[in-house]
Amino acid sequence: MTALAARLNGASPAVQAALAVLVVGLLAAVLAPAAEWVAKWPVAWTLPATEAIGTGLSATLEWMKPAARLASAALGVPMDGANLLLTGAPWPAVAGLILALAYWVGGPRMAVIAIVALGFILASGYWLQAMSTLALVTVSVPLALSLGLAVGVLAYEVPAVKRLVETVLDVMQTVPTFAYLTPLLVLFGFGPVVGLIASAIYAAPPMARNVLLGLERIEPEIREAAAMAGTTRVQRLLLVEIPAATPQILVGVNQCTMAALSMVIIAAVIGGFDDIGWEVLLTMRKAQFGQSLLAGLVIVVFAILIDRMSAALPEQAGRGSRRTAGLIAAGAVALGGLLWVLGVLPAPAELGILRPVSEAVDAALTAFTQANGPALDALKNTAMFYGLLPLRIGLDNAVLPFTWGFAWTPEMSLGLLGAAAALGGWLAWRGRVVAAVAVMAAVYVLHTGIADLPWPFVLVSIGAVAWRAGGWSFAAFTTAALGAILLAGLWDRAMLSVYLSGAAVLICAIVGGGLGLLAAVSPLAWRVLRPVCDTLQTIPLFVFLIPTLMFFQIGEFSALLAICLYAVVPMIRYTRFGLTETPPELLEAAVSSGATRWQILWEVRAPYAAPSILLGLNQTILYAFAMLVIAALIGTTGLGQSIYIALGKADVGLGVAAGAAMALLALVSDRLVQAFATERRRALGL
Amino acid sequence: MTAPAISVRDLWMVFGEQAGRHLVAARKASDDREVVTERLRAEDLIPAVRGVSFDVAEGELFVIMGLSGSGKSTVVRCVSRLLEPTDGRVEMAGENILTASSRRMIELRRSKMGMVFQHFGLFPHMTVADNIAFPLKVQGVAEGERRKRAEEVISLVGLDGRADAYPRALSGGQRQRVGIARSLAVNPDIWFLDEPFSALDPLIRRQLQDEFLTLQAELKKSIVFITHDIGEALKLADRICIMRDGIAVQIGTPAEIVLDPADAYVAEFSSDIPRTRLMTVGTLAEPMDGRVPDPKAPPLPEDITLEQALLRCLAAEQCALMPVVDATGTQTGLLSAEALARGIGGSADVPETAPA
Repeated sequence: MTALAARLNGASPAVQAALAVLVVGLLAAVLAPAAEWVAKWPVAWTLPATEAIGTGLSATLEWMKPAARLASAALGVPMDGANLLLTGAPWPAVAGLILALAYWVGGPRMAVIAIVALGFILASGYWLQAMSTLALVTVSVPLALSLGLAVGVLAYEVPAVKRLVETVLDVMQTVPTFAYLTPLLVLFGFGPVVGLIASAIYAAPPMARNVLLGLERIEPEIREAAAMAGTTRVQRLLLVEIPAATPQILVGVNQCTMAALSMVIIAAVIGGFDDIGWEVLLTMRKAQFGQSLLAGLVIVVFAILIDRMSAALPEQAGRGSRRTAGLIAAGAVALGGLLWVLGVLPAPAELGILRPVSEAVDAALTAFTQANGPALDALKNTAMFYGLLPLRIGLDNAVLPFTWGFAWTPEMSLGLLGAAAALGGWLAWRGRVVAAVAVMAAVYVLHTGIADLPWPFVLVSIGAVAWRAGGWSFAAFTTAALGAILLAGLWDRAMLSVYLSGAAVLICAIVGGGLGLLAAVSPLAWRVLRPVCDTLQTIPLFVFLIPTLMFFQIGEFSALLAICLYAVVPMIRYTRFGLTETPPELLEAAVSSGATRWQILWEVRAPYAAPSILLGLNQTILYAFAMLVIAALIGTTGLGQSIYIALGKADVGLGVAAGAAMALLALVSDRLVQAFATERRRALGL
Repeated sequence: MTAPAISVRDLWMVFGEQAGRHLVAARKASDDREVVTERLRAEDLIPAVRGVSFDVAEGELFVIMGLSGSGKSTVVRCVSRLLEPTDGRVEMAGENILTASSRRMIELRRSKMGMVFQHFGLFPHMTVADNIAFPLKVQGVAEGERRKRAEEVISLVGLDGRADAYPRALSGGQRQRVGIARSLAVNPDIWFLDEPFSALDPLIRRQLQDEFLTLQAELKKSIVFITHDIGEALKLADRICIMRDGIAVQIGTPAEIVLDPADAYVAEFSSDIPRTRLMTVGTLAEPMDGRVPDPKAPPLPEDITLEQALLRCLAAEQCALMPVVDATGTQTGLLSAEALARGIGGSADVPETAPA
């Protein structure tokens, strides 16, 4: 016994962690069939956290309500004003002003993009809806920008606040978008102002982050030079620091604008405002996918235009002349006014020449799905029965005569787990204890299913990995976070979320990693993939649902596809980035050692790229969680569904508790991957 | 006698949590600097400057020289109060600036101090002229007057025609000219230069050093100049302070530093200095004390270098004891061949032959 203890003490942290997982896993596997409380957290043990949060928050919100309603009314004024102006003014005038702005920001090139984009929106027949969305954006963006600027400057000027601000920004990044909406709905009442405020709150953090980053990146000597010139603190900030940080701040403006647009569109689920997001939702619900696709494309075009224009802000070089821009604006306003006065201005809806196209698409789509229904169903069912279901409820429950052709027997469980144990034993005997435990754990998960895993096993495994990655305090944090989910009675739903996002992350890691590798070795592939990635990242989350829904109807598989589409991008980008950013001297050293292309890739580039790829994986996980909540719209189970249901019932307790559980899951996985990435980075001396 | 332009006494700069409290406690416990340092390090504090004292006379070019991590940049930041020193006194023209209010500090910086930075510290969003006029702008000088003064300083540093360029369009040498011009915009009495030429390539560096000397001959500022280059220090300085591990190891004229190094560390610095080209005859001249120079020895002007003196000595028939003369030709001292050899070869080689 003492000999064993001594050997254990000598073992590396990874091995110790692996052994802890093994012991608990074995215990859980043995005990689970016998003791119900191991397999499933008993309902009696949960705390009424959801109800408590609901009661507490509702009381607070009630108390804040008068002020909120006042703010809501106050915000309603500029919003209605903007809406009236943008939808009420003659459309050539509005289009001309946008064109003039585009020309001024990015010269003739940007003007061409604007003409194409505005032409498409007009032709789609969704001009008015798009303008309603623009009205929301024009009010929410200044709000978000000033909020972000204020917070960023505050964090920079008052070091004591900085840590707090950074933590809050981190957490806000992981809180799912819908989770803000429920309390806001209670507070501000039904209507578009909720979307406005939600989008301002959602869009402020990227601005604050970039302001802080820009200010902190100013060379110390510039700050010292300003001090030595005899500036007061305010002079230093306004005359030197903020202007010197402007390029970074403008990056923040771009990110902030895109986030605001994305959230404005998501907020359409609240309804009450005839904007383009509502149009997508409405047509989607009516299964008019042609129209839905068209409206979705309007959002995409709109997003691309706003993105390109705000991304061009930092570039002084490409500016068009103010004079020409002024002339364009004046001409458009005059023309619009004239046509309107003469009464010959066609209503924007009459210009919807693409309407028949969308109807044709709709018809063709119906024909296609009818003709290929069996094939599509077969694809979906294969993925469901042989991939998703076993992952969710385990082989022991998923293998049925009806789908697999045979029934799962306890003997098969014994055989599978026995084989895993044998393989693990062999690996352990070869000295690879961590790999052995990993193999056994993977087989156990596959056998039992993520949703049915005994909670002690999950708690201890994640805790052990966290301990290995970040020491005791981190392990305590993860265990506490998961424990809170258990106590709140949200465990089952949380595991369902973990299962679906886990499946998506797995697919993204394989597909995205492969595509990233391809893009790294073939410049041609990157030339094709890059615009695809750019576009996918500009598209508001919502729109991803349309194509998957078109082909695979409502259900988990469609949700999975939508999540993958959205979350695969960072994996591709970071993998390629990591693999291509190897320092030239390292490559020269490898080449002069006589390494082949593939040897260089595996022996030099891949290890060097590991931290970067891990960060990509991290982003992919966060993206998957974000999309998971949106995907609840088209039928997923788990926390996302709870948040969405809470929104429908204005149930603050459930909405906030489920949102918090989601945020905790995201935080835990974010910190875990970050910790490993940091360790790799340090090991490489980066 | 008037107060020195800058007077620094027993300056300590300790980085870390609660540095002030720990420093007071450590110094109460011991007078020994090394013991105090050990105690501070044991508390995970970083003592960067440890009891440095020096004076800079009005119009003096005072160079602080040390390797990276020696604390030299920290000293100049404490003296300009960009950092708050943990302990010590810093006076400018008799005024204790460490107790000055932040209002008074701003006033002092607007009227009395200028600073040049290693990496220039230019504001990227301002033109050359706006950069230079910035110290005037913040004190509310009118636009036209600012521009006029900026133009003046721009020609002073030889940047005519570049007033409206942005820093990114300038070469390194030009950027530092802008930095120098900006620091002179308010015509300060005290001029801090923190490794101003270290980021420049050698040719530009030498050129700027020469121009800097010309400028200083005209302006007569009181200067604290930081460098890690002993050659630069010897070329520019009236007096040099050599720093190591936060301590002023030696303060003296260039000749004292080279000829009479305080310890092996200082000697190591000057060991490969081509002293023959740096040192002048005046620094080696001895009093006449009634001695008579060799009649056939060549008279040596005070301001020629040892190299030139050596050439004259070799060309002469006799040079055991040579007369040293000033600019008017009046004899002011003597130089023995022995002393000349000692000056060229380094004091460590022949210390025992030093004249009694």
